[in-house]
Amino acid sequence: MLTALIGFAAVLVLVFLRMPIAIAMALVGVVGYAYETSSRAAISMAGRLIIDTSQDYGLSVVPLFILMGLFVNKGGLSQELYRASHAFLGHFRGGLAMATIVACGGFSAICGSSLATAATMSKVAMPQMRKYNYSDELSTASIAAGGTLGILIPPSVILVIYGLLTETSIGKLFIAGILPGILGILFYLFAVRLTVARKPESGPAGERVAWPDRLDALKDVWFVIALFVLVIGGLYGLFNFPPLNLTFSPTEAAGMGAAGAFLIALLRGSLSVSSVKEVLIETAHTTASLFAVLIGAWIFSNFINLAGLPTALLELVTQWSVSPLAVIFMILLVYVILGCVFESLSMLLLTVPIFFPLVTSLGFDPVWFGIIVVVVTEISLITPPVGLNVFVLKGVLGDVSTGTIFRGTIPFWLADIVRLLILVLLPGLVLFLPNLMH
Amino acid sequence: MTETSGETQLQRAGRWLALLPSLLAATVLFALMVMTFFDVILRSVANDPIESATELTRLFMAIMVFSALPVISWRGEHIVVDLLDPLFSAPLARIRDAIINLLSGALLMWPAFRVWALAERALNYGDVTEYLNIPQFYIAYFIALMTFLTSLALMARGLAYLFAPHLVHKAQSPSADSN
Repeated sequence: MLTALIGFAAVLVLVFLRMPIAIAMALVGVVGYAYETSSRAAISMAGRLIIDTSQDYGLSVVPLFILMGLFVNKGGLSQELYRASHAFLGHFRGGLAMATIVACGGFSAICGSSLATAATMSKVAMPQMRKYNYSDELSTASIAAGGTLGILIPPSVILVIYGLLTETSIGKLFIAGILPGILGILFYLFAVRLTVARKPESGPAGERVAWPDRLDALKDVWFVIALFVLVIGGLYGLFNFPPLNLTFSPTEAAGMGAAGAFLIALLRGSLSVSSVKEVLIETAHTTASLFAVLIGAWIFSNFINLAGLPTALLELVTQWSVSPLAVIFMILLVYVILGCVFESLSMLLLTVPIFFPLVTSLGFDPVWFGIIVVVVTEISLITPPVGLNVFVLKGVLGDVSTGTIFRGTIPFWLADIVRLLILVLLPGLVLFLPNLMH
Repeated sequence: MTETSGETQLQRAGRWLALLPSLLAATVLFALMVMTFFDVILRSVANDPIESATELTRLFMAIMVFSALPVISWRGEHIVVDLLDPLFSAPLARIRDAIINLLSGALLMWPAFRVWALAERALNYGDVTEYLNIPQFYIAYFIALMTFLTSLALMARGLAYLFAPHLVHKAQSPSADSN
């Protein structure tokens, strides 16, 4: 256990010196593995992982979902989503912020990334909220918080990686993200109401939109709904009837989603040869950097397992007869602390190999734990000092200070904590839908 | 070295050098998407899936990831933690980045040689893929070669920090699309 802890500390030191996380984890993993076995065994393990990981069929889901998200972005679907939710909610006090939350939720249903969701929605929603004199605090915070839904509402790149790392069904993880995601939307809406109740001037009501216009705005979002039904429905087995007889594997769902998003963007005339090339290259680069980290994480987790950290933790827990729920709360505390320091993917990759065996041997459901981890990760995206969503907004907008945005996110952060507690205490909320799957 | 329109010849050469692997990555990714789409359609409509789809997927993935790796390594697009950046002054950060990149590149040589050895083994065993009978050693040598190039790219970046800082692209924010 001591070697594992030293290894963990070594990784932390190296990444703080700005060594790429992939290389830091691989280096410590190889050295630690060599210490436990032999240097020959260690380097062979690393070499095999480099060759095998890049050719892993299951991992092909990663670039395809990233590709889908980028094509969706190019397709300009975010505008329609915002227009529709604006039509229904805009006349409430704080209504534009509420519309932002709902539109973020809708966008999350076709995009697997929180940062992309926040970046996209900020371009659409921010000008509108400025026009209606919304305070910067409320408007930026609603985008930053709404954007976090991207990794919870399927599809989700983070859930894919959790599923691959722990050999948990990606289909079930996706389906399990739906209810907690909707719960997230409702809680954020409540947070908006809370903000405008305290400071009415932060979110004045807009004009009421007449019903015919509302319905008109609604019909433009059918692209989004069609894409969501295609991908998630296909995974769920919705099309598994004659003559279609189709159930998608995660890779197929992602491929269909990417192709669908590509066709939609093409139909809407928003693609050029150069923009397609740009999207493809960006996807390839992002995928390569993710794979590098994945290979590093696998090498590192081989060492951690060999050094017996998960077993040692389990023994510790049994020895002190800590209740399983208390263990979960301790893990959550660790995540909230790490979330202040780490970018979300690295946090996941560093910790899941350690905590996952412990959590499952205590009898918790792997799907449930995946959702819990993602919800904590969402919280870390708006927690100072490195809440990445806040920095994305800062990057896109430029003229708002991060302090303002962080101040605005406080009600949303609190709503997140309450939602997390509910999901921890009522696992049924997470597991209800996936348990209906065959 | 003559400087024209803010870009040195070396920088231009670097851009061209990066273009080929990037285009290769883009092409196989697009092929992967189109193939998956038609695989599903053909399976549903004609009950006749593309039998070699799985192994082609694996092949495309490896080509895509490993053609992109040297490029992102040279450009500094690896996922890093930049929390402590404010603590380093500019000259100190330069030395830190030089050392870290040189060290990372040098260390990567070790697994690169190992992957090369594994490729040689695949050549000797004559393993081929199931449907298309593609020899396994092709892709293994490709991975080994690109791992070497990744290692060289990292070391070149390290040297650039020391001797030609204007060549080093500004590092981008950590992984834009995964979170």
